[in-house]
Amino acid sequence: MSQDGTAVPHSAATDPRPATYYHLAKAVLYREYLIFIRYPANAIGGIVIALFFFGILFYGGQLLAGQALTDSIEGIIVGYFLWTLSVGAYSAVSNDISSEVQWGTLERHITTPFGFAPVALLKGVAKVIRTFLTSAIVLAVMLVLTGTRLNLDPITVVVVAGLAITSVLGLGFAAGGVTVLYKQIGNWLNLLQFGFVVLVSAPVFALPWMRILPLAHGSAMLQRAMVDGVRLWEFSITDLGLLVIVAVGYLAVGYAVFHLATRRARRLGVLGDY
Amino acid sequence: MQQDTAIAQHGSIATDSNHNEAIETAVPALKLTNLSKRFGTGDDAIVAVDDVNLTIEPGSIVGLLGPNGAGKTTLIKCALGIIIPDSGSVSVFGNRVDGTRRSAYRDVDAMLEGARNDYWRLTVRENLRYFATIHGIDPNSVTQQHDRLLDRLELTDKADTPVRDLSRGMKQKVSLASVLAGGASLVFLDEPTLGLDVESSRTLQQELRRLAHEDGRTIVLSSHNMDVIERVCDRVVMMANGRIVADDSVNELLSDATRDTVQITSADIDDRLVETLIDRFSVTVVGETAAGRTTIEITHAGERLYDVLDVLRNEAVTIDDIRTVQPQLEEVFVNLTGMESEQTATSGRAE
Repeated sequence: MSQDGTAVPHSAATDPRPATYYHLAKAVLYREYLIFIRYPANAIGGIVIALFFFGILFYGGQLLAGQALTDSIEGIIVGYFLWTLSVGAYSAVSNDISSEVQWGTLERHITTPFGFAPVALLKGVAKVIRTFLTSAIVLAVMLVLTGTRLNLDPITVVVVAGLAITSVLGLGFAAGGVTVLYKQIGNWLNLLQFGFVVLVSAPVFALPWMRILPLAHGSAMLQRAMVDGVRLWEFSITDLGLLVIVAVGYLAVGYAVFHLATRRARRLGVLGDY
Repeated sequence: MQQDTAIAQHGSIATDSNHNEAIETAVPALKLTNLSKRFGTGDDAIVAVDDVNLTIEPGSIVGLLGPNGAGKTTLIKCALGIIIPDSGSVSVFGNRVDGTRRSAYRDVDAMLEGARNDYWRLTVRENLRYFATIHGIDPNSVTQQHDRLLDRLELTDKADTPVRDLSRGMKQKVSLASVLAGGASLVFLDEPTLGLDVESSRTLQQELRRLAHEDGRTIVLSSHNMDVIERVCDRVVMMANGRIVADDSVNELLSDATRDTVQITSADIDDRLVETLIDRFSVTVVGETAAGRTTIEITHAGERLYDVLDVLRNEAVTIDDIRTVQPQLEEVFVNLTGMESEQTATSGRAE
């Protein structure tokens, strides 16, 4: 109503402008940012738990393995860093999709011009950025605790680790999609993140075919970058190409699984049921 | 960009002119054609929506009524694309949901489960901005509209409060506000007044009428509260067993039901006369006061009313009051949905 109580047409004040994918990206990323800074307990809790388990691994390992563990500590730190990144990205995406179902917001996204899939993808990007921030803190504390030095070329670490966990994002999307379809399976799929330990430490030099598994090739490259000091441009085209292909491939497959699963859920009428 | 063009042409907050266009050109806000949805297979199959045809004109408020399991929610979700129907088609302002999904969805939003559907960790205003964006509107261009919306729903004081800190009734209003924030022309509301106090409920009902009759938005309202439906809706669609069993204006539905029921009150109607009237005309006694006044009701009166009046005149009965019964929508609803259930049971159709 206007001040005189008469009805004012919507368009009288300003003409609404259409939103583009730029506006969508801004809205989704800003929302994630707000929640991150407004409710830091989750992030802090994640950091504390990650450091607690690393403490057990490091000090417990020293008691059991002594010098053997100390000799390989650099590799362990890099592997643990990548594992925390992977777990953060995977659980953030898969759990987030479950939460959207429970909140009833996934249904609302379905009935918009953009749909939910690009929103989920953008949220995945936001989660990866967030996970990088928290894992960087975990990495810094690990280095201080153990007195270890690593090569931390930011461009190399961000690109290699980022592409490595992009494949995990794909797994997160797939798991999220399956959870939309079969709600009760979600908690079981969270156990998958422990399998990432195997992928991070996969013997890709002895068994080269393992490079096509998510994380495995990226983990080997990250070890070379952070332990041996190899820079991004010093990797072979083959290594970089495979890293990109694995990342994009798993992300595309995961995204497709998510899309198909939500479509199936719509057909069965179980999209919003929880 | 195709989407931008589409939004600019048709939609949302900016498009009162488009609403008018739609009304002038008689493009239905919603058109369901032979819509069917069955869940399960074999003997366990449930027909949730059974060959439904429904057309809703722009700028109207349509109430969707039906007992639990009637198919209302499935129908709404099919219209929204949240459930994919087995057969039939859904068009929103002339755009088919299955073919031109983006064009169809720029004009539709829904509040399906009361206070859910929003991000509780965001503030009220942040929710409005977010949902405007995902509905294809740059939120910076509708700030004033959002302020007005908050004002109308009495949420201005809470604009910067996280939704989680609000009462259930407030959350309900926020949910409605966020549905309207993107300027959807067709809005589905499922139990929008559930959990609201009387005053808030009335405010909301007034706002719904204003949205339809002044802003030209089309509202499909599903509720178990017959009073709300009766007060707010221009038209009522009643469902039972997946089918539409009545589709008319509230006045017409009520007048159909009232046409033949008459109540007569008099202090001169004694037990002997009551027995006579029951025997001859199947009247029912609906009230006896301490002062000795008796009220009888004649259903399907028709010509019999004059016969009853003749009997009363012959018995020298002085009539204190005679009136046509004004039934509530609830009675119409119970009659229609009850009849449908009986027919279904008789025909042995799987529910």
